[in-house]
Amino acid sequence: MLLKNIQEWTLLLVIFGIISLVGNWVNYEIVPTSAIPGMIVLILVCLAGFILNHIIPINFPSVAYIALIGVAVSMPWMPGSEKVVEWTSEVQLLALATPILAYAGISIGRSWADFRKLGWKTLVVASLVLLGTFIGSALIAEIVLRMQGII
Amino acid sequence: MNTETQFGIWKDWRLHAIVLLVVVITEAIGTFQFSVGPGVILLLPMLYALIIGLVLYFTPVIKEKQSKNAEPLIVLGVALLLAKIGVIIGPSLPDIIAAGPALLLQELGNLGTILLALPVAIWLGIKREAIGMTHSVAREPNVGLIMDKYGISSPEGRGVMAVYIFGTVFGAVFMGLIAGFLATLTPLHPLSFAMASGIGSGSMMTAASGSLVAAFPNLEDQIIAFAGASNLLSLSTGLYVSIFIALPLTEKLYKVMTGRRDQKSVE
Repeated sequence: MLLKNIQEWTLLLVIFGIISLVGNWVNYEIVPTSAIPGMIVLILVCLAGFILNHIIPINFPSVAYIALIGVAVSMPWMPGSEKVVEWTSEVQLLALATPILAYAGISIGRSWADFRKLGWKTLVVASLVLLGTFIGSALIAEIVLRMQGII
Repeated sequence: MNTETQFGIWKDWRLHAIVLLVVVITEAIGTFQFSVGPGVILLLPMLYALIIGLVLYFTPVIKEKQSKNAEPLIVLGVALLLAKIGVIIGPSLPDIIAAGPALLLQELGNLGTILLALPVAIWLGIKREAIGMTHSVAREPNVGLIMDKYGISSPEGRGVMAVYIFGTVFGAVFMGLIAGFLATLTPLHPLSFAMASGIGSGSMMTAASGSLVAAFPNLEDQIIAFAGASNLLSLSTGLYVSIFIALPLTEKLYKVMTGRRDQKSVE
Protein backbone atom coordinates (compact mmCIF):
# COMPACT_ATOMS: atom_id res chain seq x y z
CA MET A 1 0.00 0.00 0.00
CA LEU A 2 2.82 2.37 0.90
CA LEU A 3 4.57 1.56 -2.38
CA LYS A 4 1.43 2.34 -4.35
CA ASN A 5 1.10 5.63 -2.48
CA ILE A 6 4.72 6.51 -3.18
CA GLN A 7 4.17 5.82 -6.85
CA GLU A 8 1.12 8.11 -7.00
CA TRP A 9 2.83 10.90 -5.02
CA THR A 10 5.93 10.69 -7.22
CA LEU A 11 3.96 10.90 -10.47
CA LEU A 12 1.94 13.89 -9.27
CA LEU A 13 5.00 15.68 -7.88
CA VAL A 14 6.81 15.14 -11.20
CA ILE A 15 3.85 16.52 -13.18
CA PHE A 16 3.62 19.52 -10.86
CA GLY A 17 7.40 19.93 -11.04
CA ILE A 18 7.42 19.97 -14.85
CA ILE A 19 4.67 22.61 -14.95
CA SER A 20 6.59 24.77 -12.44
CA LEU A 21 9.84 24.41 -14.38
CA VAL A 22 8.09 25.69 -17.52
CA GLY A 23 6.82 28.73 -15.58
CA ASN A 24 10.29 29.12 -14.08
CA TRP A 25 11.63 29.25 -17.64
CA VAL A 26 9.02 31.57 -19.16
CA ASN A 27 9.07 34.31 -16.48
CA TYR A 28 12.42 33.94 -14.73
CA GLU A 29 14.43 32.78 -17.77
CA ILE A 30 16.00 29.87 -15.89
CA VAL A 31 16.38 27.03 -18.39
CA PRO A 32 14.86 23.77 -17.13
CA THR A 33 18.18 21.89 -17.39
CA SER A 34 19.76 24.08 -14.69
CA ALA A 35 16.66 23.93 -12.45
CA ILE A 36 16.09 20.15 -12.68
CA PRO A 37 18.57 19.18 -9.91
CA GLY A 38 16.88 21.61 -7.51
CA MET A 39 13.43 20.33 -8.40
CA ILE A 40 14.55 16.74 -7.83
CA VAL A 41 15.85 17.71 -4.37
CA LEU A 42 12.50 19.37 -3.53
CA ILE A 43 10.53 16.34 -4.75
CA LEU A 44 12.70 14.02 -2.64
CA VAL A 45 12.16 16.21 0.43
CA CYS A 46 8.38 16.01 -0.15
CA LEU A 47 8.47 12.24 -0.59
CA ALA A 48 10.49 11.84 2.59
CA GLY A 49 7.92 13.95 4.45
CA PHE A 50 4.94 11.99 3.09
CA ILE A 51 6.61 8.68 3.95
CA LEU A 52 7.46 9.80 7.50
CA ASN A 53 3.88 11.01 7.97
CA HIS A 54 2.67 7.62 6.75
CA ILE A 55 4.86 5.39 8.91
CA ILE A 56 5.11 7.41 12.14
CA PRO A 57 1.87 6.87 14.05
CA ILE A 58 1.50 10.36 15.55
CA ASN A 59 -0.74 13.17 14.39
CA PHE A 60 1.87 15.47 12.85
CA PRO A 61 1.06 16.99 9.45
CA SER A 62 3.18 15.92 6.47
CA VAL A 63 3.74 19.56 5.46
CA ALA A 64 5.46 20.15 8.81
CA TYR A 65 7.75 17.14 8.26
CA ILE A 66 8.52 18.47 4.79
CA ALA A 67 9.42 21.95 6.00
CA LEU A 68 11.58 20.53 8.81
CA ILE A 69 13.42 18.17 6.43
CA GLY A 70 13.94 21.11 4.05
CA VAL A 71 15.46 23.12 6.88
CA ALA A 72 17.60 20.17 8.01
CA VAL A 73 19.17 19.49 4.61
CA SER A 74 20.02 23.15 4.03
CA MET A 75 21.33 24.18 7.47
CA PRO A 76 24.89 25.55 7.40
CA TRP A 77 25.99 22.68 9.69
CA MET A 78 24.75 19.96 7.35
CA PRO A 79 27.40 18.45 5.03
CA GLY A 80 26.48 19.06 1.39
CA SER A 81 24.03 21.82 2.24
CA GLU A 82 25.80 24.28 -0.11
CA LYS A 83 24.83 22.05 -3.05
CA VAL A 84 21.22 21.82 -1.87
CA VAL A 85 21.01 25.60 -1.54
CA GLU A 86 22.76 26.20 -4.86
CA TRP A 87 20.53 23.79 -6.80
CA THR A 88 17.22 24.77 -5.21
CA SER A 89 17.93 28.49 -5.68
CA GLU A 90 17.33 27.86 -9.40
CA VAL A 91 13.67 27.05 -8.63
CA GLN A 92 11.83 30.32 -7.96
CA LEU A 93 9.28 30.30 -5.13
CA LEU A 94 6.74 32.18 -7.22
CA ALA A 95 7.13 29.67 -10.06
CA LEU A 96 5.82 27.05 -7.60
CA ALA A 97 3.03 29.34 -6.42
CA THR A 98 1.48 30.03 -9.85
CA PRO A 99 0.46 26.42 -10.62
CA ILE A 100 -0.84 26.00 -7.04
CA LEU A 101 -3.21 28.90 -7.52
CA ALA A 102 -4.16 27.72 -11.03
CA TYR A 103 -5.23 24.36 -9.57
CA ALA A 104 -6.83 26.23 -6.64
CA GLY A 105 -8.87 28.43 -9.00
CA ILE A 106 -10.20 25.37 -10.83
CA SER A 107 -11.00 23.70 -7.52
CA ILE A 108 -12.68 26.63 -5.75
CA GLY A 109 -15.09 27.05 -8.63
CA ARG A 110 -17.17 24.53 -6.69
CA SER A 111 -17.27 26.88 -3.66
CA TRP A 112 -18.41 29.79 -5.81
CA ALA A 113 -22.12 29.12 -5.30
CA ASP A 114 -21.58 29.28 -1.51
CA PHE A 115 -19.48 32.40 -1.93
CA ARG A 116 -22.25 34.13 -3.87
CA LYS A 117 -24.65 33.53 -0.98
CA LEU A 118 -22.51 35.50 1.49
CA GLY A 119 -24.02 38.88 2.24
CA TRP A 120 -22.18 42.19 2.06
CA LYS A 121 -21.87 42.29 5.85
CA THR A 122 -19.96 39.02 5.77
CA LEU A 123 -17.61 40.38 3.10
CA VAL A 124 -16.87 43.46 5.22
CA VAL A 125 -16.28 41.47 8.41
CA ALA A 126 -14.22 38.75 6.67
CA SER A 127 -11.98 41.39 5.06
CA LEU A 128 -11.45 42.98 8.48
CA VAL A 129 -10.63 39.55 9.95
CA LEU A 130 -7.74 39.12 7.49
CA LEU A 131 -6.69 42.76 7.77
CA GLY A 132 -6.79 42.61 11.59
CA THR A 133 -4.46 39.64 11.95
CA PHE A 134 -2.09 41.01 9.31
CA ILE A 135 -1.77 44.46 10.87
CA GLY A 136 -1.77 43.12 14.44
CA SER A 137 1.09 40.73 13.73
CA ALA A 138 3.05 43.32 11.74
CA LEU A 139 2.79 45.88 14.56
CA ILE A 140 4.01 43.44 17.22
CA ALA A 141 6.81 42.17 14.95
CA GLU A 142 7.88 45.76 14.23
CA ILE A 143 8.04 46.65 17.94
CA VAL A 144 9.99 43.53 18.95
CA LEU A 145 12.37 43.63 15.96
CA ARG A 146 13.13 47.28 16.72
CA MET A 147 13.70 46.57 20.40
CA GLN A 148 16.10 43.80 19.40
CA GLY A 149 17.83 46.13 16.95
CA ILE A 150 17.32 43.75 14.01
CA ILE A 151 15.65 46.36 11.81
CA MET B 1 -1.43 14.32 2.34
CA ASN B 2 -3.98 12.88 4.70
CA THR B 3 -4.79 9.26 5.31
CA GLU B 4 -6.79 8.58 2.15
CA THR B 5 -4.93 8.82 -1.12
CA GLN B 6 -6.89 8.90 -4.35
CA PHE B 7 -5.20 7.06 -7.18
CA GLY B 8 -4.89 7.81 -10.87
CA ILE B 9 -5.18 11.60 -10.72
CA TRP B 10 -1.93 11.82 -12.67
CA LYS B 11 -3.86 10.37 -15.62
CA ASP B 12 -6.12 13.45 -15.83
CA TRP B 13 -4.06 14.92 -18.68
CA ARG B 14 -6.81 17.36 -19.56
CA LEU B 15 -6.43 19.03 -16.15
CA HIS B 16 -2.63 19.15 -16.19
CA ALA B 17 -2.49 20.42 -19.79
CA ILE B 18 -4.93 23.22 -18.92
CA VAL B 19 -2.89 24.22 -15.86
CA LEU B 20 0.32 24.16 -17.92
CA LEU B 21 -1.29 26.46 -20.46
CA VAL B 22 -2.55 28.81 -17.73
CA VAL B 23 0.95 28.91 -16.20
CA VAL B 24 2.63 29.67 -19.55
CA ILE B 25 0.17 32.48 -20.30
CA THR B 26 0.26 34.07 -16.83
CA GLU B 27 4.05 33.83 -16.42
CA ALA B 28 4.48 35.32 -19.92
CA ILE B 29 2.30 38.28 -18.91
CA GLY B 30 4.49 38.77 -15.80
CA THR B 31 4.04 41.17 -12.89
CA PHE B 32 2.25 44.47 -13.20
CA GLN B 33 2.36 47.21 -10.61
CA PHE B 34 0.73 50.59 -10.28
CA SER B 35 0.62 53.29 -7.64
CA VAL B 36 -2.45 54.18 -5.65
CA GLY B 37 -1.51 57.29 -3.74
CA PRO B 38 1.71 56.53 -1.88
CA GLY B 39 1.19 52.74 -1.95
CA VAL B 40 1.78 50.19 -4.70
CA ILE B 41 -0.64 47.51 -5.89
CA LEU B 42 1.12 44.45 -7.30
CA LEU B 43 -0.54 42.06 -9.71
CA LEU B 44 1.37 38.77 -9.79
CA PRO B 45 1.01 35.87 -12.25
CA MET B 46 -0.38 33.68 -9.46
CA LEU B 47 -3.32 36.06 -9.04
CA TYR B 48 -4.18 35.87 -12.74
CA ALA B 49 -3.78 32.08 -12.54
CA LEU B 50 -6.33 31.87 -9.73
CA ILE B 51 -8.83 34.06 -11.57
CA ILE B 52 -8.35 32.29 -14.93
CA GLY B 53 -8.77 28.93 -13.17
CA LEU B 54 -11.97 30.13 -11.55
CA VAL B 55 -13.34 31.47 -14.84
CA LEU B 56 -12.44 28.22 -16.63
CA TYR B 57 -14.51 26.30 -14.09
CA PHE B 58 -17.59 27.93 -15.57
CA THR B 59 -16.67 27.00 -19.15
CA PRO B 60 -17.07 23.55 -20.72
CA VAL B 61 -13.25 23.22 -20.68
CA ILE B 62 -13.35 22.18 -17.01
CA LYS B 63 -15.68 19.43 -15.95
CA GLU B 64 -16.65 18.51 -12.39
CA LYS B 65 -14.03 15.73 -12.50
CA GLN B 66 -11.16 18.15 -13.19
CA SER B 67 -12.30 20.43 -10.40
CA LYS B 68 -12.31 17.52 -7.92
CA ASN B 69 -8.96 16.19 -9.14
CA ALA B 70 -7.38 19.64 -8.75
CA GLU B 71 -7.72 19.46 -4.97
CA PRO B 72 -4.96 16.90 -4.20
CA LEU B 73 -2.67 18.76 -6.60
CA ILE B 74 -2.98 21.84 -4.38
CA VAL B 75 -1.81 19.75 -1.42
CA LEU B 76 1.18 18.46 -3.41
CA GLY B 77 2.01 21.91 -4.73
CA VAL B 78 1.93 23.32 -1.22
CA ALA B 79 4.22 20.44 -0.17
CA LEU B 80 6.76 21.46 -2.82
CA LEU B 81 6.38 25.08 -1.79
CA LEU B 82 7.07 24.17 1.85
CA ALA B 83 10.12 22.13 0.83
CA LYS B 84 11.36 25.23 -1.01
CA ILE B 85 10.60 27.44 2.00
CA GLY B 86 12.43 24.92 4.18
CA VAL B 87 15.61 25.19 2.11
CA ILE B 88 15.37 28.99 2.26
CA ILE B 89 14.94 28.92 6.05
CA GLY B 90 17.86 26.47 6.51
CA PRO B 91 20.73 28.79 5.52
CA SER B 92 19.11 31.71 7.39
CA LEU B 93 18.44 29.65 10.50
CA PRO B 94 20.83 31.80 12.60
CA ASP B 95 18.80 34.91 11.53
CA ILE B 96 15.52 33.17 12.37
CA ILE B 97 16.77 32.15 15.80
CA ALA B 98 17.93 35.74 16.39
CA ALA B 99 14.45 36.96 15.46
CA GLY B 100 12.80 34.24 17.57
CA PRO B 101 11.22 36.57 20.17
CA ALA B 102 9.57 38.68 17.45
CA LEU B 103 8.38 35.55 15.64
CA LEU B 104 6.81 34.11 18.77
CA LEU B 105 5.19 37.31 20.01
CA GLN B 106 3.72 38.32 16.65
CA GLU B 107 1.60 35.17 16.81
CA LEU B 108 -0.45 37.11 19.36
CA GLY B 109 -1.06 39.69 16.63
CA ASN B 110 -3.69 37.29 15.34
CA LEU B 111 -5.83 38.63 18.17
CA GLY B 112 -5.93 41.86 16.12
CA THR B 113 -8.68 40.21 14.11
CA ILE B 114 -10.93 40.23 17.19
CA LEU B 115 -10.19 43.84 18.08
CA LEU B 116 -10.78 45.08 14.55
CA ALA B 117 -13.52 42.83 13.20
CA LEU B 118 -15.69 42.00 16.23
CA PRO B 119 -16.83 45.58 17.00
CA VAL B 120 -17.69 46.14 13.35
CA ALA B 121 -19.58 42.84 13.16
CA ILE B 122 -21.64 43.77 16.23
CA TRP B 123 -22.18 47.29 14.92
CA LEU B 124 -23.51 45.79 11.67
CA GLY B 125 -26.04 43.86 13.75
CA ILE B 126 -24.50 40.40 13.41
CA LYS B 127 -25.41 38.22 16.40
CA ARG B 128 -23.56 35.16 17.74
CA GLU B 129 -22.33 34.42 14.20
CA ALA B 130 -19.82 37.17 14.96
CA ILE B 131 -18.02 34.91 17.46
CA GLY B 132 -17.34 32.25 14.83
CA MET B 133 -16.46 34.89 12.26
CA THR B 134 -13.95 36.95 14.18
CA HIS B 135 -12.19 34.66 16.70
CA SER B 136 -9.54 33.67 14.11
CA VAL B 137 -8.77 33.66 10.40
CA ALA B 138 -11.01 30.58 10.11
CA ARG B 139 -8.78 28.03 8.44
CA GLU B 140 -9.44 24.29 8.75
CA PRO B 141 -8.28 23.80 12.39
CA ASN B 142 -10.47 26.68 13.57
CA VAL B 143 -13.48 25.47 11.63
CA GLY B 144 -12.96 22.15 13.42
CA LEU B 145 -12.69 23.86 16.79
CA ILE B 146 -15.93 25.83 16.37
CA MET B 147 -17.85 22.85 14.99
CA ASP B 148 -16.62 20.80 17.91
CA LYS B 149 -17.57 23.37 20.52
CA TYR B 150 -20.83 24.82 19.18
CA GLY B 151 -22.02 22.30 16.58
CA ILE B 152 -22.34 22.45 12.80
CA SER B 153 -25.68 24.22 12.54
CA SER B 154 -25.07 26.70 15.38
CA PRO B 155 -24.82 30.45 14.63
CA GLU B 156 -21.12 30.31 15.56
CA GLY B 157 -20.68 27.45 13.07
CA ARG B 158 -22.38 29.41 10.29
CA GLY B 159 -20.15 32.38 11.08
CA VAL B 160 -16.89 30.45 10.91
CA MET B 161 -17.98 28.77 7.66
CA ALA B 162 -18.78 32.13 6.06
CA VAL B 163 -15.28 33.46 6.75
CA TYR B 164 -13.77 30.11 5.73
CA ILE B 165 -15.50 30.30 2.34
CA PHE B 166 -14.44 33.91 1.89
CA GLY B 167 -10.84 32.99 2.73
CA THR B 168 -10.85 29.99 0.38
CA VAL B 169 -12.15 31.92 -2.59
CA PHE B 170 -10.75 35.36 -2.04
CA GLY B 171 -8.06 35.10 0.68
CA ALA B 172 -4.98 34.80 -1.53
CA VAL B 173 -6.05 37.67 -3.79
CA PHE B 174 -6.89 39.84 -0.80
CA MET B 175 -3.65 39.14 1.08
CA GLY B 176 -1.56 39.61 -2.08
CA LEU B 177 -3.10 43.00 -2.73
CA ILE B 178 -3.01 44.39 0.82
CA ALA B 179 0.49 43.08 1.66
CA GLY B 180 2.23 44.95 -1.14
CA PHE B 181 0.02 47.99 -0.65
CA LEU B 182 0.46 48.30 3.12
CA ALA B 183 4.21 47.57 2.99
CA THR B 184 4.75 50.40 0.51
CA LEU B 185 2.23 52.72 2.18
CA THR B 186 3.09 52.47 5.88
CA PRO B 187 6.45 53.12 7.60
CA LEU B 188 6.54 49.57 9.01
CA HIS B 189 9.48 47.43 7.87
CA PRO B 190 8.90 44.81 5.11
CA LEU B 191 10.26 42.11 7.43
CA SER B 192 7.51 42.88 9.97
CA PHE B 193 4.97 42.34 7.22
CA ALA B 194 6.85 39.20 6.19
CA MET B 195 6.26 37.74 9.66
CA ALA B 196 2.65 38.90 9.53
CA SER B 197 2.16 37.02 6.24
CA GLY B 198 2.35 33.69 8.02
CA ILE B 199 -1.23 33.45 9.19
CA GLY B 200 -1.53 29.68 8.83
CA SER B 201 -2.66 29.37 5.23
CA GLY B 202 -0.14 28.30 2.58
CA SER B 203 -1.76 30.14 -0.32
CA MET B 204 -2.41 33.37 1.61
CA MET B 205 1.14 33.34 2.97
CA THR B 206 2.54 32.81 -0.52
CA ALA B 207 0.45 35.57 -2.05
CA ALA B 208 1.34 38.02 0.71
CA SER B 209 5.06 37.23 0.83
CA GLY B 210 5.15 37.04 -2.98
CA SER B 211 4.01 40.60 -3.32
CA LEU B 212 6.42 41.70 -0.58
CA VAL B 213 9.26 40.07 -2.57
CA ALA B 214 8.09 41.79 -5.76
CA ALA B 215 8.08 45.15 -3.92
CA PHE B 216 11.39 44.60 -2.07
CA PRO B 217 13.43 42.19 -4.24
CA ASN B 218 16.68 42.79 -2.34
CA LEU B 219 15.14 41.28 0.82
CA GLU B 220 13.79 38.21 -0.99
CA ASP B 221 15.36 35.39 1.05
CA GLN B 222 14.76 37.05 4.40
CA ILE B 223 11.13 37.82 3.56
CA ILE B 224 10.41 34.23 2.53
CA ALA B 225 12.32 32.76 5.48
CA PHE B 226 10.45 34.93 8.01
CA ALA B 227 7.07 34.41 6.36
CA GLY B 228 7.63 30.66 6.12
CA ALA B 229 8.82 30.32 9.70
CA SER B 230 5.89 32.40 10.94
CA ASN B 231 3.44 30.31 8.93
CA LEU B 232 4.82 27.09 10.43
CA LEU B 233 4.52 28.62 13.87
CA SER B 234 0.93 29.66 13.17
CA LEU B 235 0.10 26.14 11.96
CA SER B 236 1.54 24.58 15.09
CA THR B 237 0.49 27.09 17.77
CA GLY B 238 -2.54 28.77 16.19
CA LEU B 239 -5.09 26.30 17.44
CA TYR B 240 -3.85 26.57 21.03
CA VAL B 241 -3.90 30.37 20.90
CA SER B 242 -7.50 30.05 19.68
CA ILE B 243 -8.58 27.60 22.38
CA PHE B 244 -6.95 29.29 25.35
CA ILE B 245 -6.90 32.98 24.44
CA ALA B 246 -8.78 34.01 21.30
CA LEU B 247 -12.08 32.20 21.69
CA PRO B 248 -12.58 33.03 25.41
CA LEU B 249 -11.59 36.64 24.66
CA THR B 250 -14.08 36.84 21.77
CA GLU B 251 -16.87 35.44 23.97
CA LYS B 252 -16.04 37.92 26.73
CA LEU B 253 -15.85 40.94 24.43
CA TYR B 254 -19.05 39.88 22.69
CA LYS B 255 -20.86 39.82 26.03
CA VAL B 256 -19.44 43.18 27.10
CA MET B 257 -20.24 44.89 23.80
CA THR B 258 -23.73 43.48 23.28
CA GLY B 259 -24.53 43.95 26.98
CA ARG B 260 -23.72 47.64 26.83
CA ARG B 261 -25.82 48.08 23.72
CA ASP B 262 -28.79 46.33 25.31
CA GLN B 263 -28.62 48.71 28.27
CA LYS B 264 -28.56 51.69 25.93
CA SER B 265 -31.61 50.51 24.05
CA VAL B 266 -33.43 50.11 27.37
CA GLU B 267 -32.62 53.69 28.32
